[in-house]
This record gives sequence, structure tokens and C-alpha cells, in this order.
Amino acid sequence: MDPLSATFSALADPTRRAILARLALGESFVSELAEPFDISLPAVSRHLKVLEQAGLIARGRHAQWRPCRIELDALKGVDEWLEEYRRLWEQRLDRLEDYLRTLQPGAPDEKSPGKNQEKKGGRKK
Amino acid sequence: MAGKSSIDLESDLKTILGLRVIDAPRELVWSVWTDPKHLAQWWGPDGFTTTTSSFDFRPGGVWRFVMHGPDGRDYENRITFDAIVKPERLEYHHGGGDDVEPVQFRTTVVFDDLGGKPGSRCAACSRRPRSARAS
Repeated sequence: MDPLSATFSALADPTRRAILARLALGESFVSELAEPFDISLPAVSRHLKVLEQAGLIARGRHAQWRPCRIELDALKGVDEWLEEYRRLWEQRLDRLEDYLRTLQPGAPDEKSPGKNQEKKGGRKK
Repeated sequence: MAGKSSIDLESDLKTILGLRVIDAPRELVWSVWTDPKHLAQWWGPDGFTTTTSSFDFRPGGVWRFVMHGPDGRDYENRITFDAIVKPERLEYHHGGGDDVEPVQFRTTVVFDDLGGKPGSRCAACSRRPRSARAS
């Protein structure tokens, strides 16, 4: 599985997202992470393993004391992926708005394009 | 980075939800979104032009079009309309066939009338992968 797919599939579970939300506040031990959930410790560990394999969290070295912490790089990948769609839709909706403006000549033009810069709001003959 | 829209993932992570307030009457926004003559003027993306070969605007009807990229590449597209509720909601899905770009997603565009001052209206759209279709 490619990294982004692994990230999304790890995130596609409300418990794991809740764990991440908790870890966003700071490092935590497994027992602390398990507390708010009505599931067994091994089940929490399984969730942590999925998150770890997806690179969303990292765990301490020491066998007994293994606090978990969030790793932001994997989430950055999600955001970058989303950014492409943001860009596409921003552009598309900008074009839609520009086009709508050409259809309604009387409408107020809050975003004056480059050409009219010197006289913003001023109507030229 | 900060645009005029909010565009983010829904909590199910399978849906991208975008919201933009558009300063135009809802009926006009609707017609600009549902008429190929208008669509050709803005569909884009930036640098692209759009040529429609067929536009069958009814539930189950298909819109076939080519997006011409700035590099000269043509992108064959097929959109099938799923629901048409004039002037408030439009649902369609992309893809379906070897002859078009391998994209598969569903889009719902909601045109809300915000009321208030004349011309202040809003369009919201959400899209999700087709495999996640709920109904």
C-alpha cells in the first residue's frame, strides 16, 4: 500500500482519530490512551499498531515505558493531497464568480481586476 | 493559502466539503452550472478550455465533454446526472467507462439562498469517491 493509502486507511476509523486527537495534546501512554474508550487494552494496542505502521504516531524505545506521540509528516501528506483539490475548486469557483460578474454588469465589483487598479470603485466613462 | 472558500475533509474522510458564498441570484448560479454554453466559460481548471459534445440534462442523462489542457492534452470526461432539483440541488457522478479519464467520484452541489441583501447567495458542494456512495 502506498503511504497515502496507508494514512487514509489508518484514519478511516473513529477510535484511531480520537487517539490522534488525544496525542495532538501531547505524549501519552497506552493505558492513558485506552481510558476514554470502552475497549480492551489489546484492542487499543492494535489501533496503535495501525497508526504506527502508517507513520502517524511513533512510540518510545523502552519496552516498559513506551509513550506514543503524534508524527505530523504523515498528516502533511493528507493536507498536500487535499490542497490540490482546494486549488482546483478555488480556481474553478473564482472563474465562476468572474463569469457571473460579466453576466451582471450592475453588480458591485469587490475584486477589481488589475486593469482598474488606479481607480478602485471609480466608474470610468 | 486562505481562499474565499472553505474546502476541507468531512469527518468520514471520504468527502471533501467546499463552501463558497457567491454574490449572485441563486437562479442565475443554477443556470450557469447547468447550461453547457455557460459551463464552457468557467469550468476550467485555469488554462483549460471545455468542449461539450453532448449534454442530456435529466436524471440519468450524460454530459460528455473534453477538457483541453494548456499543454495540448485532451481529457475526455463523462458526467452522469443523478438528481436535479432546480434551483437548489444538483447531484452527478464522474467516470464510468474506458473511454474517459479514470476518475470516479460523486458530487452534490447545493445552492442555498442566503437571503439578506439582494444577490447574496451561496453554493456548497461536496464530493466523495463513487465507491463510498451511500444510497
